[in-house]
Amino acid sequence: MPQLEAIQDLDFHSETYKDAYSRINAIVIEGEQEAHENYHSLGGLLPDQKDQLVGLAKMESRHKKGFEACGRNLKVTPDLEFARQFFSPLHENFQTAAAENKIVTCLLIQSLIIECFAIAAYNIYIPVADDFARKITEGVVKEEYLHLNFGEEWLKANFETSKAELEEANRANLPIVWKMLNQVDADAKVLGMEREALVEDFMIQYGEALNNIGFTTRDIMRMSAYGLATV
Amino acid sequence: MFGLIGHLTSLEHAQSVARELGYPEYADQGLDFWCSAPPQIVDNITVTSITGQQIEGRYVESCFLPEMLATRRIKAATRKIINAMAHAQKHGINITALGGFSSIIFENFNLSQIRQVRNVMLEFERFTTGNTHTAYIICRQVEQASKQLGIDLSKATVAICGATGDIGSAVCRWLDKRADVAELLLIARNQERLKDLQTELGRGKIMGLEEALPQADIIVWVASMPKGVEINPAILKQPCLLIDGGYPKNLGTKVQYPGVHVLNGGIVEHSLDIDWRIMSIVNMDVPARQLFACFAESMLLEFEKLHTNFSWGRNHITVEKMQQIGEASVKHGFSPLLI
Repeated sequence: MPQLEAIQDLDFHSETYKDAYSRINAIVIEGEQEAHENYHSLGGLLPDQKDQLVGLAKMESRHKKGFEACGRNLKVTPDLEFARQFFSPLHENFQTAAAENKIVTCLLIQSLIIECFAIAAYNIYIPVADDFARKITEGVVKEEYLHLNFGEEWLKANFETSKAELEEANRANLPIVWKMLNQVDADAKVLGMEREALVEDFMIQYGEALNNIGFTTRDIMRMSAYGLATV
Repeated sequence: MFGLIGHLTSLEHAQSVARELGYPEYADQGLDFWCSAPPQIVDNITVTSITGQQIEGRYVESCFLPEMLATRRIKAATRKIINAMAHAQKHGINITALGGFSSIIFENFNLSQIRQVRNVMLEFERFTTGNTHTAYIICRQVEQASKQLGIDLSKATVAICGATGDIGSAVCRWLDKRADVAELLLIARNQERLKDLQTELGRGKIMGLEEALPQADIIVWVASMPKGVEINPAILKQPCLLIDGGYPKNLGTKVQYPGVHVLNGGIVEHSLDIDWRIMSIVNMDVPARQLFACFAESMLLEFEKLHTNFSWGRNHITVEKMQQIGEASVKHGFSPLLI
């Protein structure tokens, strides 16, 4: 959300900023790449909706290119190895679920957790981004809402049969997100993004998604805060 | 549908409420967690007017805690209010009152400059501070409770502490125009604004707190109690009516003295029970019937289908608007809390 106090003066070309940016930018690029692959995998699991999923996958690819341009604009080389490590626990969980045809778990990981996290992070980043990246990110975040919506609609339509698996997948994956957040806490701060604002925006977005799917406020409060205290 | 944005009074209170309501994920957490916690709709409310009309409402818990202000976590505090407003709007609530510290934070940190919250463009006409009804109810408390104590307003001196605030200035306007009050004592920190108010009213004495209190038959306290200020009841007149309209309320427990009558200001009682759970949590004496007048304003606006920010900004409350909300208040069965 918009900042109230004068935003700290960020020097986008300082070594400190560029160093932090090399990891955050890589995470975003890798995240979009994995999202692209995940939507293709989902297309295999949901053949009726393959065309739509291929469309979403293409969008993710375009987002990736946009963020690569943001890195080039600041003359930063993204640390993609760091990003792959960063995503690996979540990535592995997605792969395992996909191999077992667990559509609900796959949708929770990609369409809810990752999309909500992306939306929260992009919204928090936009007010502190450089002009070039701001324009790119504003365009991307609008489309991410469509991706979130895909998962919401499918899970809403299949709520009763998905509920138990969603709860289980939430327990298995949400704590990973909090750990990921801790890993980039210091870098995000250098970029002017505050952890508590990120967590709050994520919980708002994720809570809204769970609400749209059919969970009660009580479920949402329990699920969206799951594992946060122990991290 | 109407809405109320509220919050709990302290971290300890928040933890105990979370435990009571069965949210262990929230109950064991410290301030850091609450600084990241999202707003939630935690109660559905049904209110019936004495006219028979029935309306539905929602209680939005903002997860704001006063400790956020005390520890200067201003960004967290302001996020809570803005996010709760966005939450209310997203849930289609037509008119929502900003309760407790919410409207104070909104005004003090100039949050009206923030319209875009993620993918929500805030529509301020869906919100009200509720201050017009609060000011009206405080004035009616002055008029009616003074009678209960045998204080004759036409001979009485009324001290208004916090006179230049949104509620304080409205109370001054009403007491000047609608009540036959002998003398008004105006107390506030900002001298320039005090002089402006005095010019507007064409009357009233500007005074310091220490000087004013011993002269007052009635004290209307509409400033938040700054730390370190305590009223010595021994210096007050007997009888003295002390109306605690500030937020948070704390004079009742601090001032206990024979002849000094403390009344919770800006509180209304409804003629019929309200179906909600939340008021027992915020420690009202009669939780099914008593509530903050600012909350009641959003109910009145819903009853009257006045979906507009009836109370907004600072020092815009006119006697006519107080009259208008007051008529609706009486029509639907609300009355000021008395002694």
